Amino acid sequence: MRIGIVSPYSFDVPGGVQNHIMDLAEALIELGHHVSVLAPADEDAELPAYLVPAGRAMPLPYNGSVARIAFGPVSTARVRRWLARGEFDVLHVHEPLTPSLSFLAVLSARGPVVATFHTAMTRSRALAVAQNFLQPVMEKITARIAVSELARKVQVEHLGGGAVEIPNGVAVRKFASAAPLPGWPGQGGALGFLGRFTEPRKGFPLLRTAFVTLARARPGLRLLVAGPGDRDELFDGIPPELHDRVEFLGLVSEPDKVRMLRSVDVYVAPNTGGESFGMILTEAMAAGATIAASDLDAFRRVLDGGRAGALFPTGDAAALTTLLGDLLDDPARRADLASCARHVVGTFDWPSVAERVLEVYTTAIEATDGRVFDDDEA
Amino acid sequence: MPRMWWVLGVVVLAAIFSAYLGWTAQRVERVHARAQSAERALDSHLLRRAAAAAVVAEHLESVELYAAARLALDAEPDERESAENDLTRQLQGVELDPVDPAARALIVSSRRVVLARQVHTDLVRDALTARQRKLVRVLRLPGRYPRPRYFDIVEPVMPPLPSPAPAPASEAMPVQAV
Repeated sequence: MRIGIVSPYSFDVPGGVQNHIMDLAEALIELGHHVSVLAPADEDAELPAYLVPAGRAMPLPYNGSVARIAFGPVSTARVRRWLARGEFDVLHVHEPLTPSLSFLAVLSARGPVVATFHTAMTRSRALAVAQNFLQPVMEKITARIAVSELARKVQVEHLGGGAVEIPNGVAVRKFASAAPLPGWPGQGGALGFLGRFTEPRKGFPLLRTAFVTLARARPGLRLLVAGPGDRDELFDGIPPELHDRVEFLGLVSEPDKVRMLRSVDVYVAPNTGGESFGMILTEAMAAGATIAASDLDAFRRVLDGGRAGALFPTGDAAALTTLLGDLLDDPARRADLASCARHVVGTFDWPSVAERVLEVYTTAIEATDGRVFDDDEA
Repeated sequence: MPRMWWVLGVVVLAAIFSAYLGWTAQRVERVHARAQSAERALDSHLLRRAAAAAVVAEHLESVELYAAARLALDAEPDERESAENDLTRQLQGVELDPVDPAARALIVSSRRVVLARQVHTDLVRDALTARQRKLVRVLRLPGRYPRPRYFDIVEPVMPPLPSPAPAPASEAMPVQAV
């Protein structure tokens, strides 16, 4: 299949959408498809072979942050040229409702268009107002993918259309082969947390309480924390005598995140809500970590009802303490959970996620053409 | 002189309006053509599912499943929706082993039914939205296209994608820590 993918955001800057597109493109190429990705990027930047630069992106404030995007007559001309040369069977755009290359590509497209929605845009009223204006764009989209339950809900409720939910994939191979950080996990047991510890919904205080209780009884126990935030703020809540048993990595790069996840005995996700899809859990599963997580709907689904990771009642610090104690004392149970997690995470691995995206491509092509492919191609 | 400006203004407005009309007519044409294609695609996938279900029913020697599959295949247009719903209900009770090629064909076609129906529903909605516009109604822009219909069936549960080859993840995993 000849596939054209459009990224709204520049590859010069790392980001979730860009990573998603790169991983998807590579997985599709590995499955034997022809893929071309159009993205804003400098022509002289070092780029993967499948990436076609569409010129430098302009910084533009959007949705509370600065997005680097390309928009305007020059970009339109480039999009059209790329579409004409590519002769794609299907065009796959990401975030087509932002003023971006994706938006331009949808407007210029003739054939089947698949659109992936990443963010759950919460400004529903603005969206409702824009609906009439956006209709010419929306009606050119043949099939829609939402990466989370929340993003799908926004589609259904505010844009009046269905969407297939296909979660973000995780590059299992990358996670499985990374080396732990030097000196970790060590002998005395190591707990890990990744995320914004100052944000109440991430539930870090629960883990802190549990760690302080457990650390007093277990002299070797250590805690590894990574994520954005102020060092002092983290240590403020921890008794001084335990400070040397907590390591704070700050905001970590993607490779360091992978290594961090492989450096702990138990990865703890004490979130108290608001998590639409446990991306970090799939990554921890891929890294082979044993997981202890809140019993949230999303987490329970990712962890296969608790087989691929231990669940504790959401918000219950005492239950978390007991659970972590049990897990630290029971290497066999940890190994069981981790091995089940490795098995379950296969459904989130990019090759199988790419297969599901391909099904949507085929559906979009068939719905445009009216003819159906042979079974083998499905 | 003022009269000439008047005429010029009218001509420009008329040009803009006719360009808009042309664009709108093209859009209406496109959404209707797509809704029709999507209906044909959905129809094909429903037939494939029913055929695959009949094969599986023969293997399992399940009379009820076979009957539901046959009825779905032979249904008249006005009975089609309820026949497909019956088949969906029958399929819910069937345990499918993805290793068996017949079961695999059924899983694949069942998944495609869900996707094709989703896309069909969206495209029909787009066409109906276009038909609601006053300009489209007054000028009868849909022309030769009949009013598209939703295919009103219960959403079948999407079975998990059968993995092509079970990934040997378990042996690749125990990487030696340094």
